Amino acid sequence: MRGLHVYVLLVAAAVALATAGHLNAYWLHVSIIAMYYGILAASWSLLAGYVGLFSLCHTAFASIGGYTSALLVKWLNIPVLLGMGAGVLMCCALGGAIGWVCLRMSGPYLAIFTLAFSEIVRITISTEDDVTAGMAGLHTAPLFQSATRLPYFYAAFALLAVSLLLMGLLVRSRWGLFLRAIREDEQAAGASGVAVARFRILAFAIASGFAGLAGGFYAHYIGIMTPGVGDLDEMAKLVVMTVIGGMERLPTAVGGAFVVEVLLEVLRGFGQWRLPLFGILLLLTMRFARNGLLTPLWLQFVRLGGTRVPPLPAARDLPQKDSVA
Amino acid sequence: MSQSTELVRGVGLVKRFGGIVANDAVDLVVAEGDLVGLIGPNGSGKTTLINVLTGHLDPDGGEVRVRGRRVSGRPPHVYAGMGVARTFQLTQLFGRMTVLENMLVPGLTRPHSRWDEVARRARGYLDFLSLSDVEQLHARNLSGGQQKLLELGRCLMLEPAVLFLDEPFAGVHPRLRDELVARIRELHQGGRTFVVVDHDMESILRISRRLVVMARGRKIADGEPAAVRADQTVLAAYAGL
Repeated sequence: MRGLHVYVLLVAAAVALATAGHLNAYWLHVSIIAMYYGILAASWSLLAGYVGLFSLCHTAFASIGGYTSALLVKWLNIPVLLGMGAGVLMCCALGGAIGWVCLRMSGPYLAIFTLAFSEIVRITISTEDDVTAGMAGLHTAPLFQSATRLPYFYAAFALLAVSLLLMGLLVRSRWGLFLRAIREDEQAAGASGVAVARFRILAFAIASGFAGLAGGFYAHYIGIMTPGVGDLDEMAKLVVMTVIGGMERLPTAVGGAFVVEVLLEVLRGFGQWRLPLFGILLLLTMRFARNGLLTPLWLQFVRLGGTRVPPLPAARDLPQKDSVA
Repeated sequence: MSQSTELVRGVGLVKRFGGIVANDAVDLVVAEGDLVGLIGPNGSGKTTLINVLTGHLDPDGGEVRVRGRRVSGRPPHVYAGMGVARTFQLTQLFGRMTVLENMLVPGLTRPHSRWDEVARRARGYLDFLSLSDVEQLHARNLSGGQQKLLELGRCLMLEPAVLFLDEPFAGVHPRLRDELVARIRELHQGGRTFVVVDHDMESILRISRRLVVMARGRKIADGEPAAVRADQTVLAAYAGL
């Protein structure tokens, strides 16, 4: 049955929504945080996996989005959703600016540049006590006035679903094809008529916007923003999630976020020793399964019902050879 | 050569890399319908000239005009949009994308292009280049000759006015080389304009209507192949011609 995997996913989503009420507060929280990381992982995969821009300031944008929203809500007393929207716009603008500055950088140079930017953001937030409350943390207005976490679960679910839908539409469009062409060979992409600079800036802006969205949600869910949201540990965790899942596909990146977040909780008994475990897992993934551990499983999944996996998402809807006159 | 048929003009092009002058005040005009062979010893500045004429390098002096419009300093996609296509000395494909996707990318950069129309055109060119059977393979899995053909196909998807081919015959099996020569001839007869750089003199002489010779960064000859081959300056600079 063609597209069976889509129906399976829809049914799984419906089951998750219907049964979420039965989860206890702890697992509800873990699920919400996993979805927060899911948005971050998918958007980082858009940048690093689809375009090949290995940015290390993605969680810094989550932090910027969160602080922007929290501060605007606090200062201007605007609705939380409006604050989150402003956070997204701020991250899009800053992300585009970073993309513009980094136009001629790639590989380790880009990684080091974005790492430096990330540290600048973290240190600025830490030291500007008067504005951000520094290390003490900035208390934020809640997204919902609710005694349970359930509304947050639904909100996180909706944000993740909409983010994946939008990013999915992007990667399946001609723009997605251009972004992958840039990843493969910028010079050849330019010779093929792709406006490389424009699309690199656009990719940075869009990915940063989604990071800002995740950060805004996190700020108004957790209730307090600290500089730690955008620190290097968080970025390393995001890289581990995305790479272990598979950074060249959005669903596998999200899957990686879910798996790592749940495992982190399940293995909590091991204390800090669970973290080196993920390091070892990352090393093994890079050595033996560069496309991620979940990619083969995902490919099997989409083959359900005999549907052939197209090598390119973008060409899926093209007329087949026989139908071409 | 009338102004109206002029496609690309390089005027006094200078390009330096540190102390090395790769192009030293080179003038080159490519007119509609040309099939120019660009030859010269290693290090004579042929590839640099192509890079400058297609926007991949900014000249340190002089200017590039496409259809009379000054474009030097603009990025390569602007040149591509104006109908200037190129291949690379070392084949540069989108390796982890399929053959069909490689063809779709340039096609879809054209204004008002539609997926189905571009796909139909891509499949037409793949058929023309005998690559139909491999359209779903990743480009990196093709043979060297097939990769050269695909790079040519990718250029054709731009519907270019002029194609600069940088060493299209290098490392290609003789059978595929013949196929490549045949396709270039066929396309030229269909009205395409070519500038072909290669060391394979036999293939160049088989297809060229005009030969341009470079040596030590300068253009030393430009004319009909027979006349150029008899030129003493060329013989001196380019042993073996």
